[in-house]
Amino acid sequence: MKRVGIIGSGNVGANSAFFIAENRTASVTLVDVKEGLSVGKALDISEAGPIRRYDTDIRGGSDVNGIRNCDIVVIAAGRVRAPDQSRDDLYRDNSRLMIQVCEDVKRLAPGSVVINVAEPVDMITLLAQKCLGFDRMRVLGVGGLLSSTRLRYLVSNSLGVSPRDVTGMVIGPHRPSMVFLRDTIRVSGIPAVKLLPAEKLDSIVDEVRKAGDAILQMAQRSTSYYAPSAAVAALVEAIVRDTKAMMPVSVRLQGEYGLDGIAVSVPAQIGEKGAEKIISVKMSREEQKAFVDAANDLRDSLSRVTS
Amino acid sequence: MPRRKVSIIGAGNVGATAAYYVAEKVIADIVMVDVVEGMTQAKALDFLHAGPMRRYDVSIRGTGDFSEITESDVVVITAGLPRKTGMDRMDLLKVNAEIVKSASKKIAQHAPNSTVIVVSNPLDVMCHVAFRTTGFAVHRVVGMAGILDSTRFRYFAARELGCALTDVHAMVLGGHGDQMVPLPRFTTVAGIPITELLDKSAIDRMVDRTRKGGAEIVEYLKTGSAYYAPAASVAEMVEAIITDRKTLAPCACYLRGEYGIEDLFIGVPVLLGRNGIERIIELDLEKEELDQLKESANAVRKGVEDLDTFFSVR
Repeated sequence: MKRVGIIGSGNVGANSAFFIAENRTASVTLVDVKEGLSVGKALDISEAGPIRRYDTDIRGGSDVNGIRNCDIVVIAAGRVRAPDQSRDDLYRDNSRLMIQVCEDVKRLAPGSVVINVAEPVDMITLLAQKCLGFDRMRVLGVGGLLSSTRLRYLVSNSLGVSPRDVTGMVIGPHRPSMVFLRDTIRVSGIPAVKLLPAEKLDSIVDEVRKAGDAILQMAQRSTSYYAPSAAVAALVEAIVRDTKAMMPVSVRLQGEYGLDGIAVSVPAQIGEKGAEKIISVKMSREEQKAFVDAANDLRDSLSRVTS
Repeated sequence: MPRRKVSIIGAGNVGATAAYYVAEKVIADIVMVDVVEGMTQAKALDFLHAGPMRRYDVSIRGTGDFSEITESDVVVITAGLPRKTGMDRMDLLKVNAEIVKSASKKIAQHAPNSTVIVVSNPLDVMCHVAFRTTGFAVHRVVGMAGILDSTRFRYFAARELGCALTDVHAMVLGGHGDQMVPLPRFTTVAGIPITELLDKSAIDRMVDRTRKGGAEIVEYLKTGSAYYAPAASVAEMVEAIITDRKTLAPCACYLRGEYGIEDLFIGVPVLLGRNGIERIIELDLEKEELDQLKESANAVRKGVEDLDTFFSVR
């Protein structure tokens, strides 16, 4: 059985462990500086097993040595964004902790594939890749995948079709300037624009752009965590089972999509080695422009926080 | 909520394997009906014995008595003979039309509120037999063909691309025969059309292999035909109807002007839910695609004309 170490046992960390258990894909060790939190949540998840019919080994602790030799490490530590806090400020808050976490991961699980959920995700993913010194394809951020699942849900709900039938990819930075690959929004292969009025699709796109902020405003000191955790579990499953599933993930680019030195979400095939292949998708002229603008926006942020 | 019930008429390989897939989904009780009685009971009992390990606890019954299909939500007709050497198309049509007619009468009598899934071949023509004989509304008679052709196309595309099977969606329209119409531009990987990912010759190869998908299996088996993928396709349709999933998939359905086709069962994209076919999706087909669909429709119409030379509902 493959092993997943999750650093941070807050809502995203614990729910990722829960979804992984339900998928029966890997055993999980939750690590958190608050020991009671990890141990308690791991025990709670384990005790649901007889009813939920999984027998996955889920354990928790405060000792970071728990992630030793894990096949996958999920970084779900750090603060979540407060209402009205800027992403730049959040980065300043989280970056120091991330450097510490990455030193642990590098020392204890040098062969792992790393999945980062800490925000702001593209900036932290880039930082993590640099600190870890891992092959860039082994350091993945959850960004586009989360927006894509939101998009797919909203399209299915609006059309009254099964969400399983709906595809759709969101790429670029995980911020409101994210880029929607309109042609990939389909139902069983049929373009959604043929089934849905264009204005409706526009309003869905708008809703997805603002989804993170909307949930933050609704819940105040908490952010969304079910959909982000589901995204983590989907990545874990694709890696453990080496499925080559195509998902948009944040990864440091080296020339792909005309970008270099920053991490943003792009479609990639996920397998045992992490992002095994980045797929370049045909974009419309507007999408291309939006992608470049969004990337520049992110680059500005990066230069602000590192200056 | 009352327990849901699915009846499967014909407990051969397709019928029995469909029963197995439906059992594993744990969504409905199952009745298998076959004129060959002992075999039906034996298969049902064998499935039940596997339940504790496979973790399904639905009721599965095998019977020769059609009255046991009473109150079924869905009835699947798989009964019919395969084509044997020396048997011409017309002979097969006559034999199977008689079998499907007899099953349809029983369905109208014992399960008048069910939705009927037709699997017997020649599929599109047998849909006409079931539709006319049951007298059911058009949305409650649906043929299994496009889902099967599409799952084969999806499998071939995923293998060709080395990508995850679950990422691939495909559309195959038309009659269930050599003239089916695979639509590569509506065949996608995570939403990306395969026309962007593969060159034309690779796609042509896959299209051709899909058209001959059934025949390829027959060549290997010599004396039998495919049943895992057909049964899986049946179970997918059963699940969509029983759980009201609103699955968008190609199925044989009675057209009344859609795609410029009148009064004919043929495979087009439909939305499957509690009420059977809840919506027919009309795609903007390119001329070449539409021509292929028309050609396929003509082949089906020829079969219906053959049927009309001898068939009467009584």
